[in-house]
Formats: sequence, C-alpha cells, structure tokens
Amino acid sequence: MNGTPRILNRILIGILGAKLLVIGALLVLLATVPAVGSWWQGWSAEAWAGVRGLFDQTRFPGRSESWLWFVMVVLLLAVIGVMVAWLAQQGKGRANLLVAADDAGEVPGSVRIGGGVAEQALRAALADRPDLAGATVATYEFEGQPALRIRVQPRQGVAPHILATEVSALVQALDAVVGKRTPVLIHIGSGARSRFGRAERVR
Amino acid sequence: MSHAAERHHRGAAPHDAAPHEAAPQEAAPQEAAPLETGAGPIAAPDSGPDLRPGGARMERVLARETSSSRASAAIIAAILVIGLCGYALLETAVRAVGQPPWLIDPQTAADRVTALPAGVAPLLLGVTGAVVFAAGLFFFLNAVLPGRRARHVLADPRAAVVVDDEVIASALARRARLAANVTQEQVMVVVSRRQVLVNVRPTSGVPLREADVQAAVEAELRAMAPSPMPEVRVNLAASGVIGA
Repeated sequence: MNGTPRILNRILIGILGAKLLVIGALLVLLATVPAVGSWWQGWSAEAWAGVRGLFDQTRFPGRSESWLWFVMVVLLLAVIGVMVAWLAQQGKGRANLLVAADDAGEVPGSVRIGGGVAEQALRAALADRPDLAGATVATYEFEGQPALRIRVQPRQGVAPHILATEVSALVQALDAVVGKRTPVLIHIGSGARSRFGRAERVR
Repeated sequence: MSHAAERHHRGAAPHDAAPHEAAPQEAAPQEAAPLETGAGPIAAPDSGPDLRPGGARMERVLARETSSSRASAAIIAAILVIGLCGYALLETAVRAVGQPPWLIDPQTAADRVTALPAGVAPLLLGVTGAVVFAAGLFFFLNAVLPGRRARHVLADPRAAVVVDDEVIASALARRARLAANVTQEQVMVVVSRRQVLVNVRPTSGVPLREADVQAAVEAELRAMAPSPMPEVRVNLAASGVIGA
C-alpha cells in the first residue's frame, strides 16, 4: 500500500527492456549474418556523417569544439536527474499522522493523533504472543488518507484465519480509542524468522 | 499456473501440539484491553463506504498487495541508466572543454560502432549481444507479465487481509500431518493460486486413507476461505518410511 508508481515503473522498465532487446539482437545478428554487417555499415556511416556535419556547423567561432557537446552534457545531467527522481519514488508513502481533524467540542483548534500511537499500541499488544515470530506496524498514506499496515510473521503451522480474526479484534479496539476507522491492511507473511525459528508448541 | 507463484513447505508444527490445534483462541480479548485506556473517543467511529472491506479503496489496496510493484527491477534499471549516463557525461564533458579523453573519445567510439562487425572478434560480439539481449528480456518481461505475488486474500469484516501462500501451506501441512498421524518430515504441501498439493509419505506398515487427509485439509481450507479458493489434491507416496 505504499506509493510506488507501478504503472510508471512498468512503462520505464518496458522502454529500457525493448531497447536492450533491439541492441542485443542487432549485435548477435552482426556477429553471425554477414549481410546484416554490410547493411549496418552503410546505414550507420550515413547517419554518423549527418551527425558529424551537424557538429561541424555548430562550432564556437574561432575554436574547434562544437557547443553541441555542452547541450549533450546538459541532456545527460537531466536524464540522470530524472532517474534519481524515479528512484526516490520507490516505496515512498510513509505518513506521520493517523488523524488530523477538527474537534467537535467548544475549544478551538484541531486534533492530531500521530501514527506512533497506533503503531506502538498494536506492537505492544502483539509483542507477547507466543505464536508470532515478529510483528511490525507502519502508517502509510494511501490515496491521500492515512492507513495502517500490520505485518505479522506467525510461526510455522499457525492458522492464518484465526490469527487474522484476533488481529482484527485488536484493530477494532484501536478504533474505539482513536475514534476513527482507519483503513487497515493485515499482511500475514513469512520470513526468515518464522521459517527457521522454532515452531509454536502449546497454545 | 506458474511455478514462480508456488511456495514449497515441508512439514509444519511439532508433534506435541496435537490436542491444542482446535483450541479456541482465548488470548485476543485480554490483549485488546490495553488499547482501551482513557481518552474517550473524539467522535463516533465513522466508517466511510470505501473503508469497508469490499469497498473500492480496500479493493485497490488488495489489488496492490497481491501483485508485485516492480520496484526492484525499477531500481536496477535506474542504476544501470545512471551508470551509463554518468560515464557518457564524463567523456562528453571532457570533450566539451577540449581535454584528452579518459577511456575513449566519443567520436572514436562512434567510428568503431559504425564499422562494427570489423574490429571485434565475432565470438565476443555475439556473446555481448546475447548478454544484452538477456538483460533486455529480463526488463521487458518484468514490464509485461502480470507479476502476481504468491498471496491469497482472506475475508474479514474490518480489515483487508493478505496471507502469503507459505503461511497457508504451513497451516495445511500441520493439519494434514495430524490427520495422517505422521511426522512433519513426511508431509509436504505446495500452495499455488488455484491448487493445493499435499504430498504425504506414510509410515511403513501403518495404513493411511487418502480420503481422511483430503477431508481434513479441505475442512481447514474451508474455514480459512482464501480467495481465490484453491482445490485440494492429495498424493500418497507409494513407498513408506521406516522407523518414523
């Protein structure tokens, strides 16, 4: 439920993948089929001559360098900047506030409840359970609204539906405290700790 | 059914858990108690229509959670492009200020590329091409394939619940092990999107009915009610284990 831009990811990865596919196929064909080699030499020499002419036309007056090199530097910097921005989009979406609302009472002002309230209360409630190898709670912003993500790692053999019901009951108790129904995602997963840790013995 | 969407699980819970497996879960109400301390509600808990399970927002959360975000492939792609652009930037900047190149002058590089089959050993060229092609295939398939995660959705009145297939397999393996009365090494459960495969290797000399195991696993699965609901297949191994 984080804000990773999934469609953008797919589009950009697809563009890169298609380019690499074409380049790779061209290289293999160049190495194996002689006819492709002669075609490539003719076609690319022509294209390169055109680019070269462009560089010759754009020289600084009185110097041998073209200012197109500076344009390329700027373009490459822009591409790198866009890539860094794209990287920064992955897995974003953590939020700090669980509730930010106007109080209905007579005292002026608004009420804000930090996400740490829900996170620590739920974590403390889940901490002592013998059937869990670990539990983490995090507040995310999903479509502009705060939402809670509860990730529990049960030990081997724990029935997930019973665990889900119990965690859901905890969430309902939290609803009563906070006074607002926050969207909640319960993820019952497995990790190294539940895989290699001891199994639950007695309940 | 793709093999990538499968989770293998061997064995389950220990032997002495048997009498407790159906015990009611008494811990929950007490553990909920510390949450209900003071601080009366500001307002009555409001429930927007899209917060409820089955609501549009929850549907979107669940759709996101059961499919891959492609973040790892995106990170690899971005780092690859940054590296290539960084090197090209270095050579271009060096060229722009009229300094000697670091590794290769952009113009010389272009000349070499236009002359291509000549100047490079065909084997090296072919292998390079194949590697680039494979990398392209990796990214392209990542972009095109649906990318389902090995997870199922459970129904719950309050929250959206997703369960890793591995956890389901572990719970079913435990149930199958209890029904078949074998040790945990003798049961292996594979859960995929539409199918649960239970492999049981019986103890030599102890008869084992396939229908018992099937019924037990199906009952557990019905109580769990994952969506989509997989169907159960039980495989009894022809040879047994000695001394289990």
